[in-house]
Amino acid sequence: MSKLTHFLLRKITSRIVVFYVILTITFVIPRMLPGGAFAYLINNPNVPPNMRDVLIKQFGLDKPIIEQYFIFIKEFFTTGNLGISFSRLQPVSQVILEALPWTLTLVTTSVVISAIIGILLGLLVAYKRASKMDVFFVSVAMFLRSMPGFWLGMVLLIVIGFYMHLAPLFGAYTYGVTYATPFEYIADVLYHLWLPLVSLILLTTPTYLVITRNAVLDVMSEDYIMAAYARGLPERNILLKHAFKPSCAAILTLLAMDLGVSLGGAMLIERVFSIPGIGRLTYDAIYMQDYPLLLGVVVYTSAVTLTLVTLVEILQSVLDPRVRLE
Amino acid sequence: MKAKIIQLILSNEKSIMGLILLAVPLAMALVPQLIAPYDPWKTVDRPFLPPSSKHLLGTNDIGQDIFSELVYGARISLLVGFAAAASAVAIGTVIGLIAGYYGGIAEEVLSSITDVMFLIPVLPFMILMAAFLGQGYQNIILAIAAFSWPGVARMVKAQVKSFKNVPFIEAARAIGAGDLRIMFKHILPQLYPLITASTILRIGGAIIAESSLSFLGMGDPTQKSWGGIIYWAMNTGAITSGMWWWIVAPGIMITITVLGLSLIGYAVEEYVNPRLRKR
Repeated sequence: MSKLTHFLLRKITSRIVVFYVILTITFVIPRMLPGGAFAYLINNPNVPPNMRDVLIKQFGLDKPIIEQYFIFIKEFFTTGNLGISFSRLQPVSQVILEALPWTLTLVTTSVVISAIIGILLGLLVAYKRASKMDVFFVSVAMFLRSMPGFWLGMVLLIVIGFYMHLAPLFGAYTYGVTYATPFEYIADVLYHLWLPLVSLILLTTPTYLVITRNAVLDVMSEDYIMAAYARGLPERNILLKHAFKPSCAAILTLLAMDLGVSLGGAMLIERVFSIPGIGRLTYDAIYMQDYPLLLGVVVYTSAVTLTLVTLVEILQSVLDPRVRLE
Repeated sequence: MKAKIIQLILSNEKSIMGLILLAVPLAMALVPQLIAPYDPWKTVDRPFLPPSSKHLLGTNDIGQDIFSELVYGARISLLVGFAAAASAVAIGTVIGLIAGYYGGIAEEVLSSITDVMFLIPVLPFMILMAAFLGQGYQNIILAIAAFSWPGVARMVKAQVKSFKNVPFIEAARAIGAGDLRIMFKHILPQLYPLITASTILRIGGAIIAESSLSFLGMGDPTQKSWGGIIYWAMNTGAITSGMWWWIVAPGIMITITVLGLSLIGYAVEEYVNPRLRKR
C-alpha cells in the first residue's frame, strides 16, 4: 500500500470514529435529562398519541437502554432515521435534508469566492507590505472581523434591501410563483441570495487575506528566498513562484479549520434573510423546543463539516507530500 | 510582569486606541445607573418611538428606552465575554500543560480530542449544550467556554514542549520538585504573557458568540444584553419597518468592544512574540 492510500485510509477511519462518537453523544444527552429516556417525548403535547406509540415501538423506548442504543445506531445507519420532529411532525432527516441544500449553497459559494478574493488580496498586500494599501486592507479586515456576522447582514439588509430596494427583504425565492423555465427560478433565487452571499463573503474574506499575507511573509524570511533575491530574480516572481507555493499549506489548513465557522456564519445569516436552510431550522427548533430536530441538526451539520474537511485534507495530501508523512 | 504589560499597553499607539474604544462599554458596564436616563425594565413611554432628545434611540415594542437597555446590556455582554474567555483559556491551559508535559499516551488522547474540537461545527454544539443546560447566562458562559479552548490547548502544548527540558526545569526536578509543582510553579508562570494575550483576544470572540446565541433565541430572557436587544428588534420586525437605530446601535457597541480588545490583544501578543513585530 502506498503512503498516500495508507494516509487516506487512516484519515477516513478516524473521521468515521469521530462521527460515531457524536452520534452516541446525541443518543446520551436526551437520556440524561430529568425524567430519563423519553420524558421529553411523552411530555410533549405536540406529539399525537398514535405517533408516540409508533416512535416508542420504532426506537424500542420501552426496552433496556443498551438495546435502545443499538436500535438507534442501526436506524441511523440503515435509513438515516433520527426520529420525528415535534414541531413539524415529519421525520427529522427529511426536514433536514430539505433544508441542507440552501445552507450548502451558501457555505460553499461564499467560501470559494472568499478564498479566491482573500488569497489574491493577501498576496497583493504581502507584495506591497508596509505600504498604505497594506495598512488599509489589514485595518479593514480587522474591522470586519470585529463585527458579529449576522449584524453586518442585518445592516446590509436595511440599507440595500429596505432603503435602496435592491434586494428582497426575506426568503430564498418568491413565494407562490410558478416559473415558466428553470432559468427563471435560478434568476429568482440569485436575486434573493446575492445579498446574503455578499454578507458572508465580507465576513470570510478578511480571514483569508490575513492568513495568506502572514503565511507569505513568514516564508519570505526563509534563507532560500534571500538566495532568490541574491540571484537577482524579480520580486514578483519570488513572491508568486517561491513564496506562495509553500504558504498554500497554511491556507489549506485554514480552509479546513474554518469550514465549521463558515457553516455557523451561514446559519446565522439564514435567520437574518429568512432562508429556509439549517440555520432557520435551528432557530425554529429552539423556539419550539423541538429537541429531536436540534439533535438532528448537530448530527447532520457534523457529518457535512467532517466530510468537507476530509475532502480538503485529501486535496492537501495529494498536493503536498509532507502532509502524508505526519 | 503585570506592571510590564500595563506599561506596554500604555506605550503602544494601537493599544491606546483600543483603550479609548473600550472606555465607553466599560463605563456603561461599571456605572450604568449614572449613564442611563431610564430604568431599562420599565415602560417609560409609548412603544416604537423613533430617536428623539427624550429617547436617544427611541423605545422598543413595550415602551422601554432602548438607549438605557443598551447601557445596562454592556454589563452582561462583557461579563459573559470575559468569563467565557477566561474559562476557555483555563481549560485549554490545563489540557495543554498536561499533554505537553507528560507526552506519550496523555498527549495522544488529549491532542486527538483537541483536533476533533477543531473539526466540529461549533455553533450547533454550543446551541445544543445551552439548550440542554437550560436558560441562564451562566449556562451560555459554559457553552461558549466548552467549545473555545482548543486553540489555547494547542498553543500551550507547543510552548510547554519547548520548555520541558530547559536547564531550570531540570534543576527543579533534580532537587525533587514533583510534576504538579514543576507544571504549575515553574512552567505556567513562563506562559503568563502568552495566556494574557490570548485571553484578551478571546473575549471579543466570546462576546460575538454570546450575541450569536442570543440572536438565535438562546439568550437569557431575564437579562439585558446587546445580542438580546438585536434578537428582540429582529423578532419585532425592526428591519421591515425601517427602525434601523434599534439594530445598528447594539451592533456598534459589540464592534467597538471587540475591536478595542483586539487592538490591545495584538499589542500584547506582538510583545510576547517579537517575530510578529516585523509585520
